[in-house]
Amino acid sequence: MTQSRHMGADNSEKQNKITRREPLITKDDISGYLFVLVAVLFFLVFTIYPLVSAVITSLQLYKPFGSDFVGAKNYINTFQNALFWKSLRNTLVYTAIVVPISILFSFVIALMIMPFNRKLQSVFKAAYYLPAVASGIALSVVWLWIYDSSPSGLFNQLLTALHLPVQNWLGSSKTALLSLMLMAILSGQGQNIIIYTAALLGIDNTYFEASQLDGATFLQNVRYIVFPLVRPTTLFLLVTGIIGSFQVFMNAYMMTGGGPNNNTTMIGLLIFNNAFKYNKYGLACAQAIILTIIIAFISFLQFKLAGSEVEY
Amino acid sequence: MKRRLSVALIGFVTVSMLAGCGQSASNGTSASSENSEPVTSAASTAEVAAGSSASSGATDTITVMVPPVTNDYADKMTEWADEFHTKYPNLTLEVINTSWDDHNTKLSTMAQAGEAPDIAELSYSNIGTYVSNGTAVDITKYMDADMLKDYDQNALDYMTLDGATYGLPLYITIQALGGNKDMLEAAGVDVAKVQADGWTYDQFLSAIKAGTKGDTFGFVFANSGVTASDFINIFGATAGITNAFDSNLKYTYSGKKMLTLLQAIENMTKSGYMPNYGVEASQRMVMCETGNAMIFGKAMPLFENSIKKNNAAIDASDGSAVEDSKKITYAFLPVPTMDGVSESCFGTVDGMVAFKNNNSTDEHLKNVMTALYFLSSGERAAYVDAATCLNGVCQTSRDAISQFESTDRDQGNKDCADRLISEVSAPPTGMTADQSAAAAQMMDEVIVPQMQALLAGETTAQDMYDAIVSAAKDAFGEDGCVLD
Amino acid sequence: MTGLYSRHANNRKVYYIRNIILAALLFFMAFICLFPLIYMILNSFGPAVEAAGAGRSIMPAKFTLDSYKAFFAFSEFSGRWLLNSFVSSVAQVIGNVVFASMAGYAFAKMKFRGKNLLFYLIMVGMMIPYQVTQVPLYILMVNKFRLSNTYLALILPGMVTAYNIFLTKQFFTGIPTELIESGKLDGCSQMGVFVRIIVPLSKTVLAVLAITTFLSSWNTFFWPFLVTSHESMFTIQVGLKQFKFANTTMFGPMMAGATISAVPMFILFFSLQKYFLEGVTVGAVKG
Repeated sequence: MTQSRHMGADNSEKQNKITRREPLITKDDISGYLFVLVAVLFFLVFTIYPLVSAVITSLQLYKPFGSDFVGAKNYINTFQNALFWKSLRNTLVYTAIVVPISILFSFVIALMIMPFNRKLQSVFKAAYYLPAVASGIALSVVWLWIYDSSPSGLFNQLLTALHLPVQNWLGSSKTALLSLMLMAILSGQGQNIIIYTAALLGIDNTYFEASQLDGATFLQNVRYIVFPLVRPTTLFLLVTGIIGSFQVFMNAYMMTGGGPNNNTTMIGLLIFNNAFKYNKYGLACAQAIILTIIIAFISFLQFKLAGSEVEY
Repeated sequence: MKRRLSVALIGFVTVSMLAGCGQSASNGTSASSENSEPVTSAASTAEVAAGSSASSGATDTITVMVPPVTNDYADKMTEWADEFHTKYPNLTLEVINTSWDDHNTKLSTMAQAGEAPDIAELSYSNIGTYVSNGTAVDITKYMDADMLKDYDQNALDYMTLDGATYGLPLYITIQALGGNKDMLEAAGVDVAKVQADGWTYDQFLSAIKAGTKGDTFGFVFANSGVTASDFINIFGATAGITNAFDSNLKYTYSGKKMLTLLQAIENMTKSGYMPNYGVEASQRMVMCETGNAMIFGKAMPLFENSIKKNNAAIDASDGSAVEDSKKITYAFLPVPTMDGVSESCFGTVDGMVAFKNNNSTDEHLKNVMTALYFLSSGERAAYVDAATCLNGVCQTSRDAISQFESTDRDQGNKDCADRLISEVSAPPTGMTADQSAAAAQMMDEVIVPQMQALLAGETTAQDMYDAIVSAAKDAFGEDGCVLD
Repeated sequence: MTGLYSRHANNRKVYYIRNIILAALLFFMAFICLFPLIYMILNSFGPAVEAAGAGRSIMPAKFTLDSYKAFFAFSEFSGRWLLNSFVSSVAQVIGNVVFASMAGYAFAKMKFRGKNLLFYLIMVGMMIPYQVTQVPLYILMVNKFRLSNTYLALILPGMVTAYNIFLTKQFFTGIPTELIESGKLDGCSQMGVFVRIIVPLSKTVLAVLAITTFLSSWNTFFWPFLVTSHESMFTIQVGLKQFKFANTTMFGPMMAGATISAVPMFILFFSLQKYFLEGVTVGAVKG
């Protein structure tokens, strides 16, 4: 039955081309819907349902056996909470630094891999990608040692060898957030590099042959050919990077507990604590909705800014 | 039903993929059948029991969720579940094993979904949030008074909020200090006397001063990241802070005693007797074993076993000992006391708490109580108490403990632990769930983050104290906190 | 893409020196990125005792396979955990390769009403912090569907992700529309175009999608932890956490477990390597 329906869509598409009438639902619409059908079904069940549920919960003093409706109280409490604003600032700073540097870093690495033969390319891609495969728990143990503030911490041993004073990496408000950023930048690029190399490999040589005739330099090629062609990829990495970065909480949760002086408290950590530690689930939902709106707004801007040149 | 639906969905799309191109669909066909096969087989192998929830007649299943309280607790639970079923043939215990890090997160999620396990292991300080959202069950309504009488009132008080008791205690953990006995004696400390009678802060200070030389700190306390709360909880006893609330239910961390405590920390780090950075939890005992620390915290009586194991590993020289470690003798020590403060010890109580879920009926809850008491008393409790080197908190456990206890414990350490357990003071009666939850939040959001800044010398004891006072006023109101 | 770099045909010396400098820089950065992984692997060969975790040297004092033995001896289900992870990861990879790429294609290249709205909605789905969706999802899967301790519970929520829809959409955007039109003229249905023209051109991005999906599915901890209670249904990440106890961590076995759990990723990565390097010229005709 499904098959015949699909074939039907197929046939009438051809007719549609000829007649050019505009029915209520065109055959184009139908085949489009069929393509996204499964994805949308999963999306409805596993994303929209929890989302709607979170919106409702955000208006409640949530209790599993009978919640009380409290209106906008959870939102008002959130906006009046100084720690919320501080964590929002921390999250913004973290995102504004980590995401662009990460993308630049992975773009440069992906570019640098290109001139080598296949074997070396494989070696480099593996080297940059494989750190991502290790489990986060095991790696956080290693990073805690790297940042250990005692003289036996790895970075401190390095500093001592260079005759520099040891640092209180995660313990000082001067370095704690920076340390978390460095860790994110160094350990999270495998995926980005793989995605960038896939995009770079898709660029055809004819572009460069043409520009070579014009006598373009390497940087000009990167600026005028490579950049525009990997733009959809950059947009993808930027949007997903920002989303991921806004939701980050594991590093603060595992490594600093938000200190010192709440300088590493992220909104993600607040939401996590409210949801699972203090059982203030309604408040957590309100904060999550606010965060979602902020991310959606930023992402929308990015789509608008990038959208003018990219076909959608 | 839903499962069938999703299989059907997958099938639907597979079929529509077969539609492919008119002329030659072979390409698409092979790709899609290859792809879809594992999905459907995964779906059909998904027949693992979802638990037969239908309870008919008097049979009943009780779920219990526990982290590895002792290293082989999971195995023990399986044994005990069988034992329980033999004893009460109509009742079945279903055990959910979790991990320490995520036990509370899973419990919270399940409870908020209305699907909490009937019984879960919980630290007393977390009970409040489950009382607030209505998922914890007051066991006194369902449990025989005889069972409750088995427990020490002091321990039971920990499981009690605002007059209602929500679970049975398994043990009181005492957390204090530990040290290298030989090094302590070289620094002029009479270890046996300290263990028997306690010591003053001045004696402690001169000891850590004498013990600090070269690469060795007199005093090391694990306080990096989230562990900073331990320092306030445990060392607070030095300044006479034993609980977050006093008997009038006022928040105590805003009192002058807190300022004294913070100034002591400031003094110890500034003078270099204690590291001026956060020490990792895993490093504190190591620093003692390698001779880099004389006194360390937090320490528990059971560390004697770990240090003995390391000493044996050094003798065996099989590479399993801590690098650069030396053989040492472990001394379990009380925290010192400042002028006018009587000695006390920080303790936490972990226990088994009863929860309400969508299946809970009075009948079911009565069965839950049977299981709750079974798991928290007698040989089950004694096994845990022995493994953690702690005294039992119920009579049936104390009666059974001799068969589990190891005989070679250091007498001085054992006596000291026994003495300190008697000095643990339970939280005041009448504390509400909201107060308990607000205190936990104060610790996470104000005290822990400030503490790291204090250690790093980025804030002063006075500034940190001021921050605590102002946050406490917001959280508890002027009348709700001690302001002297 | 190789055309970006001059081959310095007239001066091979410059060519070699440039490549050596690039390679040296790449190796240096790679070492920094790889360091935690190297540490993990080396220490997995350390002794299987609690205290060993305290060592802060890169090399364990003694090399032994004890930690691996301890990992497999720790639970009778250790092997099963790997299998469970594998089954659910593979299922999610297939789900995403098929359904997310179809949806990505539709959003990139097909015209239908409500397309942009639907796409933005799906994007919003990615922006909600997972903490607040866990409780309703748990209610749905465990309470309504009664699926706890099943593969379905592990698999379904990750079957089609917004991330993958977005990823494939961005890549398909670069495929020239002329190719699709010409396919249609040859008598292919939309599905025909997708299977016969788009998929062969997109092996690289599908390989990327496969490996990133496998990786995130393989490393997911929290959801499998929530919906499994029988040890036989744990995934490897849930099992690994069992090595952490109240006051001690079985450091060696934990590192061994992490290493074991990374091995399938290594294998998958190298077996898909071919596709990563294929470099199909999807952007060729565009412009």
